[in-house]
Amino acid sequence: MSGLSSILSTATKSLLAEQLGVEVTGHNIANVNTQGYSRQKVNFVAELAVPSFWGPLGMGVKVEGIERAFDPFITARLNEKNSLLADYQTRAAVLEQVAAYFNETESGGLNDLFSQFFASLNDLADNPSGAGERQTVLANALTLSEAFNSRADQLVKERMMLLQEVGPTIEQINRYTAHIAELTRQIVETEANGQAANDLRDKQQLEISELAKLIGVSTYTAGDGTISISLPNGLPLVAGVQSFNLTYQVNPSDKVELIWQGPGGTSEIIPIDNLSGGKLTALLQCRDEIIPSYQQELDQLAQDFILAVNRQHSQGVGLELFSEIKGTYQVTDPALPLSAAGLPFGDQIVTGSLNISIDRDGEPLASGTIAINPSLSLNDVVTSINTHAVLGAYLTASVEDNTLKIEINFSSDSFALAGDDSQILVGLGINTLFTGSNAYTLDVNAWVLDNPNLLAAGQVDADGSHAVGDNRNALALAALEDAAVGPKKLTFSDSYQQLVMSLGLEAQNAGDQESFYQGLVEQLTQMRDAVSGVSLDEELTNLVKFQRAYQAAARLVSVADELYQTLLALRR
Amino acid sequence: MRVTMATIFSSIQNNLQKLAEDLQRINASIASGRKYQRISESPVDVGALLGLNKDANQTSQYERNLETAKGWISATLSALQNITDIVQAGSALANQMATGTYNASQRQAAAQQVQGYIEEVMQVGNTKFRGEHILAGFRTDSPPFVEGDWQVQQPVMHLKSGSSGTAVSGGVYTGSSSRTYLVEVVGEGGTGVGTYKVSTDGGQSWTDPVVIPAGVAALGDGVEVTFGGTWQAGDRFSISVYRPIEYQGDNHDFEIALGSTSRMVINEVGSSAVGGDQDKLDLFQILAQFKGSLEANDPAEVGVSLEKLKAYEAHVTSILAKLGASLDRVAMKEEVYANLKDELTRQISDRGDTDLVEAANLLKTKETAYQASLLSSSKVMSMSLMDYLS
Repeated sequence: MSGLSSILSTATKSLLAEQLGVEVTGHNIANVNTQGYSRQKVNFVAELAVPSFWGPLGMGVKVEGIERAFDPFITARLNEKNSLLADYQTRAAVLEQVAAYFNETESGGLNDLFSQFFASLNDLADNPSGAGERQTVLANALTLSEAFNSRADQLVKERMMLLQEVGPTIEQINRYTAHIAELTRQIVETEANGQAANDLRDKQQLEISELAKLIGVSTYTAGDGTISISLPNGLPLVAGVQSFNLTYQVNPSDKVELIWQGPGGTSEIIPIDNLSGGKLTALLQCRDEIIPSYQQELDQLAQDFILAVNRQHSQGVGLELFSEIKGTYQVTDPALPLSAAGLPFGDQIVTGSLNISIDRDGEPLASGTIAINPSLSLNDVVTSINTHAVLGAYLTASVEDNTLKIEINFSSDSFALAGDDSQILVGLGINTLFTGSNAYTLDVNAWVLDNPNLLAAGQVDADGSHAVGDNRNALALAALEDAAVGPKKLTFSDSYQQLVMSLGLEAQNAGDQESFYQGLVEQLTQMRDAVSGVSLDEELTNLVKFQRAYQAAARLVSVADELYQTLLALRR
Repeated sequence: MRVTMATIFSSIQNNLQKLAEDLQRINASIASGRKYQRISESPVDVGALLGLNKDANQTSQYERNLETAKGWISATLSALQNITDIVQAGSALANQMATGTYNASQRQAAAQQVQGYIEEVMQVGNTKFRGEHILAGFRTDSPPFVEGDWQVQQPVMHLKSGSSGTAVSGGVYTGSSSRTYLVEVVGEGGTGVGTYKVSTDGGQSWTDPVVIPAGVAALGDGVEVTFGGTWQAGDRFSISVYRPIEYQGDNHDFEIALGSTSRMVINEVGSSAVGGDQDKLDLFQILAQFKGSLEANDPAEVGVSLEKLKAYEAHVTSILAKLGASLDRVAMKEEVYANLKDELTRQISDRGDTDLVEAANLLKTKETAYQASLLSSSKVMSMSLMDYLS
């Protein structure tokens, strides 16, 4: 129905609509820096026209709703890439940290220490009776051991630190999933009357993208607008208004097990391999796969090193002979065969013989050979020394602290272990330079450390004689620097270089991936912002636009008012 | 594309961040002089550097080993050179004394000279280098040559034709200086018939003649001789008494490493280079016999000693030649290692050191980019429609 009041009514609607436009613009401007905010706009439509004599007559403007500018596809892709970015970010940070422990670009790295150790053995070979040379070998051996220890220790600590991060990360994931489920409930309630809950949906999207940074997930929006979130292996984290928690435990083999707590108290272990992307995945993989592989390589190197040096050292003799000697490795039970008694290098013992020669007052007196085979127990070895036709009179063997101890019977005597092709000395840690069996436990034998004259630079001749100028064993020890050892048949230096290089490459790769995904995320973020972001210039333009429209609508009221005035004045 | 506030500001931040990162890295490489600060920057180069560093360290060590080798060989060489000089002096003396123009007292005096040679050879043979006795094999802690107990030598016989005399020496010497007993048969005949006289100064003065006894005859200071057979007047024999020099070292070669697979013997075993092993080329024995023959005033035996000295001289000369060759080998190796080290140092520097010119250039480029970025960012940031709305 046309008429003056219709004009007023059109003006009122227009005023209200433009006012709403200003309000929404204000909301946009206010949230220009709000994370996850999607720009909103008022959806104006023309009011239904009424039939009139002259045809359908427009009745002004109508607000159909407030929409947010949002592209679900770009957002989904952004979440996925953010997930991978977070994974590589974490991975790169951890690997960079681990690589720092093996930073060989600085001096004093393991590589240098290896060189120094072998150099000091060469110096000892140049001057086998030199006290200074002996001290230098021991000092370098200690430094090298400590370098191994500290690196092993740092790897263990790194794993502990990663474990400390796992708990809070899982808690955060649980918090996000709970929030998302709660937001879904609120959204369903709010939207029951058919209106979009723009800000709640923005908030939910934000939480989903934060969740994706922690763990790789896939999202699915149902027809009713509710969102389901599941892990890559299909287990749901959020299903509608319900969320499921994750938790973890450390299993006996020191690996973290991620557990999904399903409905009704059910639970399921999620294999790490089934995860993809997100900080948690990187934490777990670094802790339980990447770092252990380097720990293993370092341990292998330490083990090869201990074995090779001890094997050679045990064949030699120092400036002084022993009055007593005790093994550094313990058997679990002296009655068990040596090969199965828990000795770290027990598998090295083979059938062979151990020569022992006795000096009296510094002159060779007697010598004897003990037959060894891996099926002998420690008790058997003790018996065969004590009942030996020659040696039995001069030596007493015993089991002390579950290892072999040999002592002289007469204080004028001393004895040398002159050649051992059975490796029992290596197995029991007698007349060895290093103790321990891996990078963490590697240490210098306290017997030698206390008395550098026991550092075996020489060897015992067939007639039992030995001399201070003998450098044969020192030469053989120094030659280990270039010997191919271990399962990979590499020199120590080469093995270590391989370790450093593969660690460096892995860190480099993670760093490269990180910057690749960083670029991708930036690009996708720009695409998302192109749709959803707020542009102040645009909002200001809109503000002016709505202001002018409002002014015009207000003008319409005053025009209508004037028309009324004119009409009413007719009656005067 | 729609450009929003978030796009503008995050791109400004990201770009500045990247440039700052680059600046920091270049600055660190200039400040530290090292191209790489972390192994992940170039794992392959860092790995190669580890190998090169190991090689360089090893090369330095082998150079140090070569120093030791040079010291030992030079010390041995100079000791044996000294000994050769003494041997040559001894030969010259023997040459003189083998002729008949010298008398007994002159030969006695020469014998004292030879005693001096023996002591000098022993002293030189016990030379120490850096506290080690270099001629003792592995037994470097004690002098290789020491004087043994007094020993009565077997007689050196000079019989007239038709004589069937035999003499066997024995007894334990109780005197305090080395000497040679010269025995001459005065009256012919065997045990109980023949007579002999004894001199301890090369025949300048004699004891009164004594009848050859059955069993041992005492010559003085515990030295004994048992006569046998039938003697002719004028038969002579001499018995020397001295403390032989004995070798106390062992026969081991002292080796050092010249490379990962090559080793070199840097010592000479004293017993074969000098003596003390009572062998044919035992210089101490040769000199002692020389001295004995001088004390016995026996030019013919002096001649024999001269031959032996010559033979020893030839032996020691060949050892000197061998040591000289070893020194050459050391010098050659030194040169090889010096070159290798130069090359390694160059490669390490190439791979691991910052190229300052390049880095400074890069820094300048980045600096310019950073300034340009700051300038354009500040311009973009300050633009707003608000400034134009009234």
